[in-house]
Amino acid sequence: MKKLFLCTCNKTLTRWLDFARIEKELGNTFESVQVHDSLCLKEGLDYLDSEVSNDDAVVIGACTSQIIGVPMERRLKSEQVSFVPIREHVAWVHKDDKNSATNKAIVLLHDGAIHVDHLEPKTAVDLEIEKKVLVVGGGIAGLKVASDLVQLGIPVILLEPPEFNKDSYVGLNQFMAESEILKETIKGLLSTSKDAEKLNGTITSLSGRAGLYSVDVKLEDGKEKDMLVGAIVIATNTEQSAPSLAKTAHYGKYDNTVFISELATLTSNQSGKTILVAQDPSYHESDAEGSYLLREVTQAAEKGNTIIVAHFNIYTKDENLYRKARESGVIFVRGTLEKVDKKKDQLVCRLENTLESQIREFTVDYIVLQPERKPWSGTRNLASTLDLELDQNGFIKTRYSKMKPVQTSKRGIFIAGNAKTPMNLNDALASASNASLEVLKNAVAEGERKGWIPVIDEELCDVCEACVKTCPNDALRRDGDLIKHIPMNCEFCGICVSACPTRAIEFQSHNKDSWMARLEAIAMNHKKLEGDKPFSLVYACSECANASIDQAGFTGKGYPTGNYVIQFPCAGMISPIEILKGLVVGAENITIAHCPPGGCHHQTGDHLSELVVQFTQDMLTSIGQDPSRVKATYMIAALPNKMQEEVAHRG
Amino acid sequence: MDKRIKLLEALRSIAVKTPTNEVEVPEKVVGFGTIEYKAQTCSACKKCIVACEPGALDIDETLNMHDYLRVTIPQEGFRSKNREELVTLLQNLKGDYDSGDVQAISVPQGLPGYGSILWSAEQCIACEKCIEACPEDCLTLQKTYKLPEIIGPIEAFPPKPTSKEWEPFIICFVCWECSHAAADLAGLMHLHYPVSIRTIRLPCSGALEPIHIMTALENGADGVLVTGCLLSECHYGGDSPKAGNFMQEDFVKFWSEIFEEIGLGGRLNIDFASAAMGVKFAKIVEDFTEQIRKLGPSPINVKTEVQE
Repeated sequence: MKKLFLCTCNKTLTRWLDFARIEKELGNTFESVQVHDSLCLKEGLDYLDSEVSNDDAVVIGACTSQIIGVPMERRLKSEQVSFVPIREHVAWVHKDDKNSATNKAIVLLHDGAIHVDHLEPKTAVDLEIEKKVLVVGGGIAGLKVASDLVQLGIPVILLEPPEFNKDSYVGLNQFMAESEILKETIKGLLSTSKDAEKLNGTITSLSGRAGLYSVDVKLEDGKEKDMLVGAIVIATNTEQSAPSLAKTAHYGKYDNTVFISELATLTSNQSGKTILVAQDPSYHESDAEGSYLLREVTQAAEKGNTIIVAHFNIYTKDENLYRKARESGVIFVRGTLEKVDKKKDQLVCRLENTLESQIREFTVDYIVLQPERKPWSGTRNLASTLDLELDQNGFIKTRYSKMKPVQTSKRGIFIAGNAKTPMNLNDALASASNASLEVLKNAVAEGERKGWIPVIDEELCDVCEACVKTCPNDALRRDGDLIKHIPMNCEFCGICVSACPTRAIEFQSHNKDSWMARLEAIAMNHKKLEGDKPFSLVYACSECANASIDQAGFTGKGYPTGNYVIQFPCAGMISPIEILKGLVVGAENITIAHCPPGGCHHQTGDHLSELVVQFTQDMLTSIGQDPSRVKATYMIAALPNKMQEEVAHRG
Repeated sequence: MDKRIKLLEALRSIAVKTPTNEVEVPEKVVGFGTIEYKAQTCSACKKCIVACEPGALDIDETLNMHDYLRVTIPQEGFRSKNREELVTLLQNLKGDYDSGDVQAISVPQGLPGYGSILWSAEQCIACEKCIEACPEDCLTLQKTYKLPEIIGPIEAFPPKPTSKEWEPFIICFVCWECSHAAADLAGLMHLHYPVSIRTIRLPCSGALEPIHIMTALENGADGVLVTGCLLSECHYGGDSPKAGNFMQEDFVKFWSEIFEEIGLGGRLNIDFASAAMGVKFAKIVEDFTEQIRKLGPSPINVKTEVQE
């Protein structure tokens, strides 16, 4: 039975929506239409429990699925559910026109009815998972991941570079921390991770998929070893080298020139010294290094030393550190160290103050330099073996710096600590714990995985590999004359569907015919209720764009009725066909809303949708239509007025 | 494809007139033809390009909208449902197909599944491997030869003055079975025929390659005559349609038409005589010499001999 449940949100929505009319209009489409005051509360959920059976198709017109979808997923017996956000997408954004808002709700609920008709049961994918995890790099982050996972009962192989030995752990001051704390931390981690299998060697090849990777390792003694692992964590370290300024400052020649990691030891038992800290202008430091520099000079100044910092740009995200440094008496001189001469036990430093355009001379007891930090020298080889992307500094690139900070471009491979960017001890430990959690959650988690998957029709498939090329997650692979889907790598974004020229891939529950039927129905119902008033469509991705449109509702950023939002799993799933269909059914404008540039949750959807829109616009220009009717834009939850701006006209 | 390039070079060097018509390719002639391309169902999978050995196909990152709008979708639809939908929607939006100027548009880099195939008439050897490789039936072979495209414009030059002493000079390719025996018999019978011919023996008339004809003409022959066994009596194939003389008959027909187009009409002929037909052989030579005499000397500028 097809059932519709409407929620008045504790009778608040009745102010803007005419529920009696909605019930009447949808009476023919649904076998039953029920209005409840609070579906999300206990009595509402109990009510749904008693009303909905396994084989019912259910449309819920309430708040956004982001809110109500969560309790519903556990409570509803039926899997055939469609959510229509009549609160965020209708009532809260069309407060000044009750009649039109009600019309829009009716159109969207009709759309929900068609959507639910096309829903298929989710496919359970049976997957073989290897529980073992390979950690590459035995530094702080690597030990932390190994220690976390071992304590959770997951077998770990800790792979270290061939030349690595036990002394290497404390030998280098990579983590911008005091050496005592560092030693203690490493001691602790070494004891908690002792059950991890330790190997010295390098990875030579990788095959398989997330959850079941096959890794070949060449061991130190020249032997080959291949192993099966469920996930890989890369926790390689940085390498530090003397900056180009080291020669000018006579590093290595005079004992008075030291690296910043020695500053704390230097000032621990003496005060009243004059110390020049010089930044190298050719090296762009990271946020962690800038902050570390400020913390160290503040401490040294507080101990009664005169600290001069010759800088050009100290990069930090914490303004307070700079303020504290100034308050502690650190002198900041904008300029570069040009010449150093020895005079008795002291050093005479000449530098040009670029703000004053004057040459300054300082006589100091010590010169302190900042080492240059580069990714581990084997990073490039490792990345090409594992097929990972690198960022412009040569570190391994994360998938999405805010939402997915420990994921790499490849599913099932994670990064922790300095492999991503130079980090201090705390950040490295936090990043390692984060990586351990992601491994636990995604890669080696047992149990059933269920979802709507792309289904490949072997008859129609030409093996043109368009899908293989576009899939951002390597979830489609060519196997002889067939294309095979690898569910463990799949994020169910649907990008492959838009790429397929022949319609050999159809996404379960979201097939092309269902989109066509929904677009036609929206146009038809709109015309029935609103007559000749124009309407527009917004194709929103279910991640950022949809959140932004929900936010428009929460913050009351109203926009005209007649703008219908249709949710796609990812903007990359939209092909020119859906756009042109929208125009053919009579939409005035079509807006494709995707995640911000570079911020697509599936890596390439934002870029692909821009390409598709550009291509569609070209097609429209060529056939004499106005290309400005179609546009692509990004929407993001942090910008709730984006929707208002994009559809500001009377649509 | 050294051979094909050499052939085309020879053809260009003997051409005296810019060809204007496409030439029909007779049934038995293989290796020459036109690949017709249907853009609407093409998914730019590049399989045809991979399959093409002489490199006659290439991808063009554009979409010819004109073709999209004019196509009639068959009743059962295209095999590629997405293309069918796209074409239908575009036609729907365009309304009047003929109004306005419909331009080809370029496909953005990184968008797979769209593009056009470029075909080069010059390189194509009509092997049909691309047609076999295409999963969407976008390609078909037409039995025509795009001569004007291949030869290009030819500079016209003034006709040579005919000297009074001129006698036709004809190369006659004879097969070494029946037609060579016929020539021998003509001699045994003391039959007189014009002195204009020089016979060159071939294993079978079917063994004659077009490059030999071109070479003869290039070097000053006023006409080329090909003789073979009587049809259905070829020593290499008998009455099979693939017998040497049956094949060569179609080839000579094809090349005669090409010669017609490039200003050498009537200078190539094929005829057949059995070993017992000495008289016929003499007659064939007499008639062809008469034909060449009427046409006058070859308009081709013969490569001048190296002088000291």
